[in-house]
Amino acid sequence: MANIHPAGVFDTTYEEDMSIDRTGRDKLWKNLAFLALLLAPLLSVSGPLGLGWISDQYIGLIARISIFVIAVQGLNILVGYTGQISLGHAAFMAIGAYGSAILARELGFSFWTALPASALLTGLVGLLFGLPSLRVKGFYLAMATLAAQFIIPWVLRYPMEDLTGGTRPLNVPAPMIGPFAPYAEEEQDIAGFIRYQAGDAYFVDVITVEIRDRTGNSPYIALRNPAGDSVPAGDINMTFMRDAEDRITGYSYIATKAGEYRVEIDTDDNTGTFRAVVRRSKALSFATDTAMYYIIVPLAVLLMFLARNIIRTRTGRAFISVRDNDLAAELLGINVFGYKLRAFFLSAVYAGIAGCLLAYERNSLSLNAFELDTSIEMLAMLIIGGAGFPLGAMFGVTFIRALQEALIPTLRPWLSDILPQLFPFVDAINITSAINPIVFGGALIVFLVLEPRGIAHRWEVFKAAWKLRPYSY
Amino acid sequence: MTEFINRNKKPLTWALYAVAAVLILLFIGDQLAGKKAARIVQTLISGVLVGGVYGLVALGIVVINKASGVFNFAHGWMMVVGGMIFWSFFTVSEISLLGALLLSTATMLMVMSTVSWRNLREGRNPLITVGGIIVMTALMTVGGIEWQWLHALVGTFAGAILTGLAVERFAIRPLIGQPLFTAVLMTLAVAEVLHGVTQIAWGTVELNLPVFVDPQTNSRFRPIRLDAFREILDGLAIVRVELVIAFVLAIMAFIGFILFFRYTSVGLAMRATSEDQQLAQSVGLRVRVILAITWAVAAFLASIAGVLQGGAVGLSLNISFVALRVFPAVLLGGLESITGALIGGIIIGIVEQFGTLINSSEQVGTNLAPYLVLMLVLVIRPDGLFGEKRIERI
Repeated sequence: MANIHPAGVFDTTYEEDMSIDRTGRDKLWKNLAFLALLLAPLLSVSGPLGLGWISDQYIGLIARISIFVIAVQGLNILVGYTGQISLGHAAFMAIGAYGSAILARELGFSFWTALPASALLTGLVGLLFGLPSLRVKGFYLAMATLAAQFIIPWVLRYPMEDLTGGTRPLNVPAPMIGPFAPYAEEEQDIAGFIRYQAGDAYFVDVITVEIRDRTGNSPYIALRNPAGDSVPAGDINMTFMRDAEDRITGYSYIATKAGEYRVEIDTDDNTGTFRAVVRRSKALSFATDTAMYYIIVPLAVLLMFLARNIIRTRTGRAFISVRDNDLAAELLGINVFGYKLRAFFLSAVYAGIAGCLLAYERNSLSLNAFELDTSIEMLAMLIIGGAGFPLGAMFGVTFIRALQEALIPTLRPWLSDILPQLFPFVDAINITSAINPIVFGGALIVFLVLEPRGIAHRWEVFKAAWKLRPYSY
Repeated sequence: MTEFINRNKKPLTWALYAVAAVLILLFIGDQLAGKKAARIVQTLISGVLVGGVYGLVALGIVVINKASGVFNFAHGWMMVVGGMIFWSFFTVSEISLLGALLLSTATMLMVMSTVSWRNLREGRNPLITVGGIIVMTALMTVGGIEWQWLHALVGTFAGAILTGLAVERFAIRPLIGQPLFTAVLMTLAVAEVLHGVTQIAWGTVELNLPVFVDPQTNSRFRPIRLDAFREILDGLAIVRVELVIAFVLAIMAFIGFILFFRYTSVGLAMRATSEDQQLAQSVGLRVRVILAITWAVAAFLASIAGVLQGGAVGLSLNISFVALRVFPAVLLGGLESITGALIGGIIIGIVEQFGTLINSSEQVGTNLAPYLVLMLVLVIRPDGLFGEKRIERI
């Protein structure tokens, strides 16, 4: 797409010619849009200001859209800019998601280290499945990525079942900053139970109970939260500390609800005496949708910006030359295979980040979210949004999600009413799950036939017309 | 060192392959060491039998790829549609007249308007259309349940042709001149739409398609027991009759279509079109019509495969995954080769059955082994066993 110069604006230096924000007004609009995105959760119902201008469900929706924008932008680097078809993007997301979850659960990584580590891991796996691009291209490569789409979930499901839980959902702890230094510490002999006030949705209390002066037996610890329910042993907010003989020496719990907590420590035979040290420290938790929003959305904006800038570098220009004509690119001295691998790596890193964010946003992971359908869905989002345009990913994901959130709920009752009357063999139960692929495939067919360059192309045309007004060129 | 490698690239590559092959064989041998000979023979036989149907599916994909250069990801869903239509006509005792009329009208309209809608008005075409509709509707609805084979065959034929022509007309034809990538995505989109439509119409429950039943007892065949080889094989090998019938029918269909391509004028025109579209056009072939026929033929092939697969293992939406497993077979045989389709299909069938034998609980046979073969083929021999070598021109 040719750069459109607004009427009356002339570039005098190379920097001006290459800049992303061509005029001050461009910059202003972009910053305002970013600011509006950042302010949105503050105005929501559950936001700290309690204004209630925006419904909570839209905050979650924007966060999920942003996650898929990251993933589809990764696909855009590979498909849109480098011209390699990938049918295995969901599998790479699965690696990012499960990689970060396992790092956090088994090796005690925090979210902030698990995110780059899992992204890097996904990138390396992406490199592995990019290797066939040395010999094959076009849809043969699509076949290799299709193989990835089956092999990776299989590996996650069966050989790694101990770590991933196989077909069962896997719990993921919420991201947290801290805990900071303890603000309260008390030491007391246990007589039945300890009580204390703690908890907050954002500035959570991390309660650490350490047991000293034990006599023999392993203690039995139970915790009751403010509502009075006992916290189950498998709760992701609770970790037990054990000594060398695998006896429990204490625990830490992240209190997200404000109120009175109550710990009971006991032995099986009621003979033990314990002395417990209770420490409370504050930490910033991202368990709520609103808090998670502030991780996901800025990261999505940053990664979009990064992708935009990668395209303006030598690497990005090499990607585009490989897409446009790989033989000519090779004749120009570009290491085609090397750049294809780089594209695979970058694309997988984006997918890994998106997968990791998805895991921490949902707090629960299941392999069903990363099947072939998801890969095809992401390809379709990219095509509908506009492959090879910086904003294509954003338009595509938003359009498809809007379809799913707005069109399908309105269509469903209507169809469930009409179709079984028209055709007696149709069962209304099936319509609910079948309508998604139809709407979705239909949208893709319409776009492929009528506007194969996607919404982003229309947007560029519209922008050009707006900037050139009142003249036509 | 580098010079040595560069000079002996070919023998070194082959040596590497040989080492890898020996390692793989050792691994398989190790895995099979504890199994009885009877189980291995049984697995081999059922692998070949399953592979026959895979070959038929692969043929459909190859035919479309040869004619129009499109790799059809929707083939699996065409199988489902064909199998489901067959089921509807086969098991329902009273065929709805309105349904039959709708199906035959849509089919005849699509057939007659392949070139253009104007064609419907010319000459005797209106008569042919109406006559075709009446004959087809009559064949679909005549008699009771004892005519089920006729109903089902005619209905499936009409449904398959309708599916193929509709996909070609509304999805593939508008993309002429677009890059290959667009066409691949279009077949994926078609697959999604067919997925939704079949799910609405027939649901997700597995349907029983009793095509392969013993005419005497009217129940499933009893499996063949290879009693004669009991001594040699150290055990009893059992072969399911449904698989044998499906295999024989698949091979017959396969041979029939090869004869069709070789000895009929339409088949000749299809081969010419797949060779060079512009040349075919310049000698007076109507390429547009030929492409439409190709899609109809492929859809019919998919329907046959869907019915055979549905009859042998049960009919449900999962049949569409068969086509995904056939992709490795197509690549292994070579994208342009019809013999390759059959051989690739049989190899994948054997691989799948042995995968299931080695580890039956973890879906090794269906979800892993074919795709490992796919990766191997892509790395070692991307053109397949019988495919044309791709030569790039600048």
